[in-house]
Amino acid sequence: MLRVMNRLLHMVFVLWAVATIMFFMFRLMTGNPLAAYIDTNFTIEQQQALMAQFGLDKPLWKQYIIYMGNLLQGELGQSFFYRKPVGEVLMNAFPNTIVLTMGALVIAYLFGIPVGAYLAWKRGTWVEGVGIPTVLATRAAPEFWLGMILLAVFAFNLGWFPSGGANTAGAEFDSELARFLSLDFLWHLILPALSLSLYLQGLPLLLMRSNMLEVMQEEFVTMARMKGLSEWAIIMRHAARNALLPVVTTFALSIGLSVGGNVVVETVFSWPGLGRLLVGAVASSDFPLAQGAFLLITLVLVTMNFVADLLYHTLDPRVSHGSRN
Amino acid sequence: MIRRKILFTALSLGVSAFAVGALPLASPAMADVGEIRDLTLLARDQGANPQAFQAAQLIAQVWNQLGLKVTVRGMPRLQQSELVWYNRDKWDMTMWQMVGRPERSDPDELLFNLFHSSTTESGYNFIGYKSEEFDKLAEAQRVETDKDKRSDLIKQAQAVLARDQPNMFLVYPKRTFAFDNAIFADDSVVEQSGLGIKNIWSYLGAKPLGDQKDMILNSTDPLNAINPLYISGATDSWVTELIWDRLLRISPEGLAEPWAAESFEWLDQTTIDVVLREGMKWHDGMPVTVEDVVFSFEVPNVGDEVPMYKPFVKNIESIEIIDDRTVRFKLNNPSAAFLTSSLAKVNLVPKHIWQPVIDDLANRPENAESYQEDLPIGSGPFKFVRWKQQEEVVLARNPEHFSPPQIDRWIIRIVSNSEATISMLRSGEINFLADYNGDPEILKDVAAKDGDISIVSSTDIGFQYATVNQRRPPFDDVAMRRALSLAIDRDLMVEAAWNGSAEVANSPVSTALAFWRDDDALAISANLEEAKALLKDAGYRLIDGRLHYPEGVEETLVGP
Repeated sequence: MLRVMNRLLHMVFVLWAVATIMFFMFRLMTGNPLAAYIDTNFTIEQQQALMAQFGLDKPLWKQYIIYMGNLLQGELGQSFFYRKPVGEVLMNAFPNTIVLTMGALVIAYLFGIPVGAYLAWKRGTWVEGVGIPTVLATRAAPEFWLGMILLAVFAFNLGWFPSGGANTAGAEFDSELARFLSLDFLWHLILPALSLSLYLQGLPLLLMRSNMLEVMQEEFVTMARMKGLSEWAIIMRHAARNALLPVVTTFALSIGLSVGGNVVVETVFSWPGLGRLLVGAVASSDFPLAQGAFLLITLVLVTMNFVADLLYHTLDPRVSHGSRN
Repeated sequence: MIRRKILFTALSLGVSAFAVGALPLASPAMADVGEIRDLTLLARDQGANPQAFQAAQLIAQVWNQLGLKVTVRGMPRLQQSELVWYNRDKWDMTMWQMVGRPERSDPDELLFNLFHSSTTESGYNFIGYKSEEFDKLAEAQRVETDKDKRSDLIKQAQAVLARDQPNMFLVYPKRTFAFDNAIFADDSVVEQSGLGIKNIWSYLGAKPLGDQKDMILNSTDPLNAINPLYISGATDSWVTELIWDRLLRISPEGLAEPWAAESFEWLDQTTIDVVLREGMKWHDGMPVTVEDVVFSFEVPNVGDEVPMYKPFVKNIESIEIIDDRTVRFKLNNPSAAFLTSSLAKVNLVPKHIWQPVIDDLANRPENAESYQEDLPIGSGPFKFVRWKQQEEVVLARNPEHFSPPQIDRWIIRIVSNSEATISMLRSGEINFLADYNGDPEILKDVAAKDGDISIVSSTDIGFQYATVNQRRPPFDDVAMRRALSLAIDRDLMVEAAWNGSAEVANSPVSTALAFWRDDDALAISANLEEAKALLKDAGYRLIDGRLHYPEGVEETLVGP
C-alpha cells in the first residue's frame, strides 16, 4: 500500500514538473503568438486587445500562478486558436487517438506474440534468417513512408480503403458510440491502424522471442520434454505463458508511449486525433492548447506506467516478493 | 510586463543575431570601409512554400552577381512574422505573400494598407516605405466615387510603386482547382475573376447530374471559428460567407452587386440608401428586418467587442431607418470602396441572437471573437448542420433562400495530407478539389487517366514578393531598390519555380483585376547590365567583387 502511495506521489510530481517546464518553454520561445493573426487590417488596438485576452499582458510569474491555480481546478485555459476551452478541444480528438492506438496495439500484439514465440522455436533455421531482418526493417522504416505506401497501394491503386479521415463525408450517427462501432469507422481505421501496428509490432515480437529463448533453457521445460509432451504443447502451454508476463506489461507502457507518437500517422491519414492537434498548436503558438495536449499525453504515460507496475506485481508474484525483502 | 519584455528581447536579440546576422553590433566592423554588410533573405521553409523558397534562391543568385552577399534562410511562418512584424528594424530582406480574397477584388485594401505611411508603425507597411506622393494618390482614390477617375488614380499610384520599387513583386500564382464533371455539370461551375472556381457562385450554381447531390470539398487547414463577427482563418471565410448574407456580394466579374439588398442608390457623395430584399428569413424562422441590418453595422462600434470589423464601419457617421425596408447610411468622407469593403464585407447577423451575447460580453474580458454559437444562425443560402474539428463542416441547402443552391449539402473535409487529395478526388471521397498545393502536372496526368475530372487554373488576386527593409541602408535608396528589382528574372522564375503556373508581377494589383491596371506601364523584364549601370550611376562602387556604398557614405543602422 505504501508503495502504491509512493508511486502516486511520483506521478503527481512528474505532472507538476512537466506542466512547469511546458509553461516556461513555450513562453520563452521566440515567437509572439500574435504573429499568427497578422492581417492587413490589424491595428495596434487589436494587438493590445489580443494580448489582454490571451492573458499575456501580465508578468510571467503572475501568469504562472494563474495557470497553476487553474490547473489544480482542472481548468486548462482557453485555446488561442479555437477560442474555446482547451479541455473541450482535446476531448474532441482524444477518443479518436485512443481508438487508433488501441486498435494498432491489439493488431501488433496479436501478431507479435505468436510470431515471436514461433521465431524463438525456429531458432537457427532459415525462417529466423528471413523473419528477424524483415521485422527489424518494418520496425525501422519511417512511419510516414509506410503510411504513404499503404495509401498508394490500397487506397489509390486498389481502391479498397479510403484515403483519409475517420468517416465518410457527411455520415450521420445517433451517438459517438454508434460512430465508433460503425463499419464505416472501421473501414477508415484499418489503414492507419495497420501502418501504426507495423511500427509497433517489433517490440512485442522481439521481446517475446528473447523471453522464450530464456524460458526454454529453464528446468521446467526440460521437465516437460522428459514427460514426452509435444513440442507445440510445450511452447504454447508452458514456455509461452511464462514468457508472456513482461510482454503484457509493455502493452500498458506502449499505450502511453504511442498516444503521443501518432503525430505522423495521423497527419498522413488525416486522422482527427491528438497528434495533429498538437502539431497545429505548436505551429500556431497556441500555448494553452499545446500545454494541455502535452499534459494529457504525460498523464496517459505516467498512468500507464503505474498500471504496468501494478500489473507486473500482480502477474508475477516473484517481483513483489523481491521488493518486500 | 517589463521583466517579461526584457526576457523576450534578450532572447530574441540572441536568436536574431544568430538568425539574421544583420544586427548593428553583429555587422562586421572589420569589413572594408564602405562595404555593404552581408545580407540575409528570409523565406518560409522549403517544405512550406517550395516555390517561394526556390524563387528566393534565384534572387540571391542574381543579387550576388550585383556584388552583394546574400544568403537565403528558411524559417517557420511564425518565426518569420515575429521578426518582420515585431522587430521592424532588425531585418534586411524577406520573401512575403498576400493571398486573394473576394473583398480584395477592390484594390484599395492591398494598395493602401501595404504602402500608406500611416501603417508603418504597427500596420502592414512593415517595410517602412514612405512617400507623400503615393499617400496623396492612395487617399484620393478612396474618396473618388467616379469609377473611371478612380481607376486613373489607382493606376498612377501603381506607377509610383513601379518607380520606387518598395517591394519587388514577383508573380501572381495560378491556383489550380478540379472537380468531378460526372457529378456536376461542367458549365454550371463558375469561375470568379481572381479567385478561381472556389467561390459562392459555383456552390450555388453547381448542378448535380446524378444521385450524388453533396458537394464535398477539401481544405488542408482546420477551421478555427464559424463566427460572423470574427475574421479568422482562410478556410473559415469559405464557410461564413455561405451561412451569412451580406447586403452586396462580389460578382464573378469582381464588382459589388445587390444581394440581400434589392437595390442601392447614392443620394450624394456621402449618403447611400439601401433597400432590403422582401421576405428574407433567418434560419430559425424569424424575419430579417432593417433593425437587424442596422445592428449588424453598428455592433463593430459597440465597445471593443468586435474589433476586426471596426475598420469596415469606421467611415459610417450614422445609419437611419427610413421605412421598414430602407436604410440610409451617412458617411464621414466620400468613399468609393465603401460598396466592396463595407456593404459587401459586413455579415448580416440576427439582432435577437447577438444583442444578448454582446450585452453579456460587455462585462467580461472576452469579446465576440471567442463566442462560438452551437448552432450558427444566418440568413444565407446554406444552413449550418455540423462542425467536427479536424474532420468536416456540413452545411445544408436553405430552400427558403432567394437564391437557393442546387446541391443538397456542402461539405468541407479537412485533409492534412495534401498528396492524398488527388486519390480522394478519384475515389469520390471528395468531388471538388478546392485546396491543392501540389504539382499541377501530376493532377493533369491523373485527370487524363480518370476522364471525369475537370481542371481549372486561374490567376490569383494574391501575389508573391520579395521586399527590403527601407529603414536600413542601402535600401532607403531608390536607385538600389530599382537595381535589385531589375536584376530579377521573373520570366525564368515563373518557369523554374512555379512550373509555368504563374504570371509575372510588378504591382499589388493582379492581372486578374484588369480594370484597375495598365498592363503596358507595369511591364518589367530582367536586365542585369542595366541594373549594374544604375548602381554605378548612383555612385556605388564595386571593389574586389563586393559592392560598396558611394564615396563618403557610411553604413549606419537604426534600432536598439
